[in-house]
Amino acid sequence: MSKGFCLLAQNNSNTNYIRQAYALALSLHLYNKDQKISLITNDDVPTEWQSVFDQIIPIPWDDNANDSDWKIQNRWKVYHASPYDETIVLEADMMFTSDITHWWKELAKRELFVVSNVRTYRDEVVTNRFYRKTFDANELPNLYSALHYFKKGDTAKEFYNLLEIIVNNWALFYSKYAPNEYQKWCSIDVSMAIASKILGNEKDITDPNSFITFTHMKPLVQGWYNKPEKWTKVTGKYFTEGKLFLGNYLQSRVLHYVEDEFLTDELLEKMENGTTLLP
Amino acid sequence: MSKGVLLFAQNNHSIDYIKQAIFCAKKIKKHLGIPVALATDNSDYLKATYPYYEKYISHVIELDWYDCTQKRTYRDGTMSKRDLEWRNHDRATAYDITPFDETIVMDTDFIIGNNSLLNAFNTDQDFLIFRHITDLNMDRPDEYRFNKISDRSIDMYWATVFYFKKSESMKRFFDLITHIKDNWNFYRLTYQIVNKTYRNDFAFSIAIHILNGFQRTNWPKVLPGRLWFTSDADVLIKLEDETYTFLLDKKHWVGHYHAGSIKDANIHIMNKFALDRFIDEDLVNE
Repeated sequence: MSKGFCLLAQNNSNTNYIRQAYALALSLHLYNKDQKISLITNDDVPTEWQSVFDQIIPIPWDDNANDSDWKIQNRWKVYHASPYDETIVLEADMMFTSDITHWWKELAKRELFVVSNVRTYRDEVVTNRFYRKTFDANELPNLYSALHYFKKGDTAKEFYNLLEIIVNNWALFYSKYAPNEYQKWCSIDVSMAIASKILGNEKDITDPNSFITFTHMKPLVQGWYNKPEKWTKVTGKYFTEGKLFLGNYLQSRVLHYVEDEFLTDELLEKMENGTTLLP
Repeated sequence: MSKGVLLFAQNNHSIDYIKQAIFCAKKIKKHLGIPVALATDNSDYLKATYPYYEKYISHVIELDWYDCTQKRTYRDGTMSKRDLEWRNHDRATAYDITPFDETIVMDTDFIIGNNSLLNAFNTDQDFLIFRHITDLNMDRPDEYRFNKISDRSIDMYWATVFYFKKSESMKRFFDLITHIKDNWNFYRLTYQIVNKTYRNDFAFSIAIHILNGFQRTNWPKVLPGRLWFTSDADVLIKLEDETYTFLLDKKHWVGHYHAGSIKDANIHIMNKFALDRFIDEDLVNE
């Protein structure tokens, strides 16, 4: 069974997601031995960045996000494009900070797994529901699609086929399954949650107590009394000898940094020059 | 293995911490029944003013007297306050000066009302401390200043009361606290502490964070029982046997209070002036 990481990235007018994907791949290799990561994109990937990827795969079929700036309409295609039997799907604005290769053994027990609890940079479980009003108001599974796993097979295929239908008809599905605190845009989190609710598979595809999780850097959920507009404006980051500190805390989980400002040229350069931390 | 309680008492011009320590030791004797050592920079005052002190204090440890350069505001309810010297720099010496193998260190305004802390001597841990307080004042909901040492910084641990067993790792822990104390300005800036005043709670919290590898772990374990808390905005108005009755500060209503009582509790009474008034009554027949 082949195993690998996969992400779908498309640049928009504001953000170079290919650069983020490159940094993600760099960080994967910095802490994890013999891991493969493939990038699904139609954008140009600079030659000097290509070697960190196992494969660079064109987005299957048409580009459904052609007219959109928040390009999530193609995300359901990851299942079809992944070259691996077992895939951990990530978002581009993420970064590894430690060895997570032991996750494969745990994830292999499932056909599909989606994170349902996330952490602050202080490693506290996020309890703030500011960004999750739709989930609470409509009793949707509390899924975070930014990090999920699937094994190719009937279960995952059924899920992704339904996800495709929901994403392509999101307004219809949201009005039926998430009418309260109605979200006026399509998101993969809400779409996945609706898919899970329709299939009744929440208990099979997630576990809020799982150690497989990530640090979510949305600023309003960090447990801060004074809430900033951007976390990067108020929290120092220090990356030395392969150790990433945010504020006073050493990071060891997968970091979903959310704000592109985090990925400075200096940080990218340090990661490029970083010697591997593998034994 | 010898066991006991270590208290620190260093008076300023207005607050008689030594008197507090005797009252505190009296409660320790009643509820815990273990010896008490008192570290003070004024043992002459202790012996001259409280000649009966040996009823409650078995060891007196001399501390060097030094000029105090830091002050803090002490309140007596919400309407009265004074800025006074705050001599709190010797807590880091607890490891070196304690006469016991296993020691509970506590503030002199932490008043014992039950025997739950005796269970600290029955674990395999070499350090126990409270992570959270339980505020008697329900009108003062959890505030970040009680949970973190600053809004974006690390978990708060309360050096009000803690247990330690002599060991190599605890020696390192106290050495680290001394280092933090000696370099306080650097550490307070690193941990985003605005106030320049050295505070043991902060130094202990930083040392714990560093020894945990700058991450949250399950060390240290918490002390048995609860750390009940009243602030110096609250006023102790009645002390009857083991029942303490307070006027508790009403949030957003300065000068207004509601009443609250607690019985048989281990309670930190931050209003030293109010506590002092009742200690005078309690010790009058000694």
